[in-house]
Amino acid sequence: MRETWVVGAASNRFGKMKESARESATRVALEAIRSSGLEPKDIGHTFVANAFGISEHQAHVGPLINGGLGIPEVPSATIESACSSSSAALHEAIVHVGGGFEDAVLVVGAEKLSHLDTLAATSYFAIAADYPFETKNGATFPGLYATLATAYEHHYPTKPEMLGSIAVKAHANGARNPHAHFQKEISMDTYLNSPMIASPLRLYDCCPFSDGAAAVVVAAKEFVKQPAAEPLVVRASVRTGSVTEMQDRPDLLGLPATRAAAAKAFRQAHLEPKDIDFAEVHDCFTIAEIFALEDLGFFPQGAAGAASLEGTTARDGRLPVNPSGGLKAKGHPVSATGASQVVEVFEQVNGLAGSRAVPRTDVALTHNVGATGGSCSVHIFARR
Amino acid sequence: MVTDELPSAPHTILEWFHGYEEEGRLRGFKCRHCGLVTATWALACARCGRADLEETALAATGAVVAFTILSVPGDDFLNDAPYAYVVVALDGGGRITGWMPTVRDASQIAIGDRVRYVSSYKPGVQFAKDAGTPSTA
Repeated sequence: MRETWVVGAASNRFGKMKESARESATRVALEAIRSSGLEPKDIGHTFVANAFGISEHQAHVGPLINGGLGIPEVPSATIESACSSSSAALHEAIVHVGGGFEDAVLVVGAEKLSHLDTLAATSYFAIAADYPFETKNGATFPGLYATLATAYEHHYPTKPEMLGSIAVKAHANGARNPHAHFQKEISMDTYLNSPMIASPLRLYDCCPFSDGAAAVVVAAKEFVKQPAAEPLVVRASVRTGSVTEMQDRPDLLGLPATRAAAAKAFRQAHLEPKDIDFAEVHDCFTIAEIFALEDLGFFPQGAAGAASLEGTTARDGRLPVNPSGGLKAKGHPVSATGASQVVEVFEQVNGLAGSRAVPRTDVALTHNVGATGGSCSVHIFARR
Repeated sequence: MVTDELPSAPHTILEWFHGYEEEGRLRGFKCRHCGLVTATWALACARCGRADLEETALAATGAVVAFTILSVPGDDFLNDAPYAYVVVALDGGGRITGWMPTVRDASQIAIGDRVRYVSSYKPGVQFAKDAGTPSTA
């Protein structure tokens, strides 16, 4: 494996986009390439994530994006892994560059859902579960995580304030992130008084439906003579899978795909959880952040809720988690989410995070889950 | 090159639907090698990897291992919310997910509750509280 860097990154503001996924993807891709100091013609391959592009009646969007960038001859492929689509695309880029197949690869994820009503958007999300065996039996995406939450709370007594502290922290961070869908703090009372969506998950336990786009440029160290920004050295790039259906998982107290990804990533990086300075984890629901913190090895099982309530994962805590606001407040434009986590690491490392800057930025971890854990990506980045 | 014949699944997903919708029974697969029982369609066992599955009948009764009360439903269940979505460990092995139209509040259900599959023409695998055994709630 050649040493591989993330040399450029860009995101638009998540929320509601007027333009299509195709247009926004092209725009952030150009911005990411410019931030890297490379030219579009340096790109050898583009990996695109746009899981629900079909809702815009557009498949095969990669060639359109490359055409819009003035590089129509560059090959592209769309990678679909539900909510982890763009981190899966990033993994492909790292494999291509690290393996010597290409010197520089573009990763871009974009999603537009705001042209759908809530029911249609909920239905699109739900087809990422096992459609006949879960969705057709009444599951929704919040419902599946809520079912896991009930099982977790049965084993580990969990106060509503523990989940609430994750939502409050996410919004506090999102309020300082110009890319965030929600740039507004919320109080614990607001959280506790929000309506139940799927017990025990309230409205403020759930990430929003967002539009958005994010892009990352990956290049070989030897190819980049003079990086335009401080690059992120890829120390680990791991993908794992697990049984999708909840009915076939013997253990409902976390996500097996995350546990496997963490073990492999820390082995690959020759690092341990205590070496991580900050993390962007997959908090599609507050309970998902608890699972992530425990499954990644940052806290023992059953301990992440109390740690969150104590402020351990706040910006100034021992382990800042989701300084971007996370999926919860920054927003969750499905296929842009994984790339946007890397944008946050890039901005933190390059001193571009403004008032949401975390104290230490030498080693960072990103964690992105596909649906309810059928897929998982973990990446670890370090400074040169 | 020796090519083994591909295994055929003991039933199709359509037959699985037919089983609970028309025949009022829950079909499943059993691994002849490791004994895993599952409701989920497959050609090989998710636990041991052997392609040696046989048709098995799943029990109609079991216990709730996880649940939620869904207030915002998917499109097949628009007029049914709130309802319980449940994962049930069936007596005799295998777990299955389903829903309970008569359970509309978290105070009406608990992990460990006994439930019974009820045949119905409504969508999905439907459960009701099993009157035969007391609730653990």
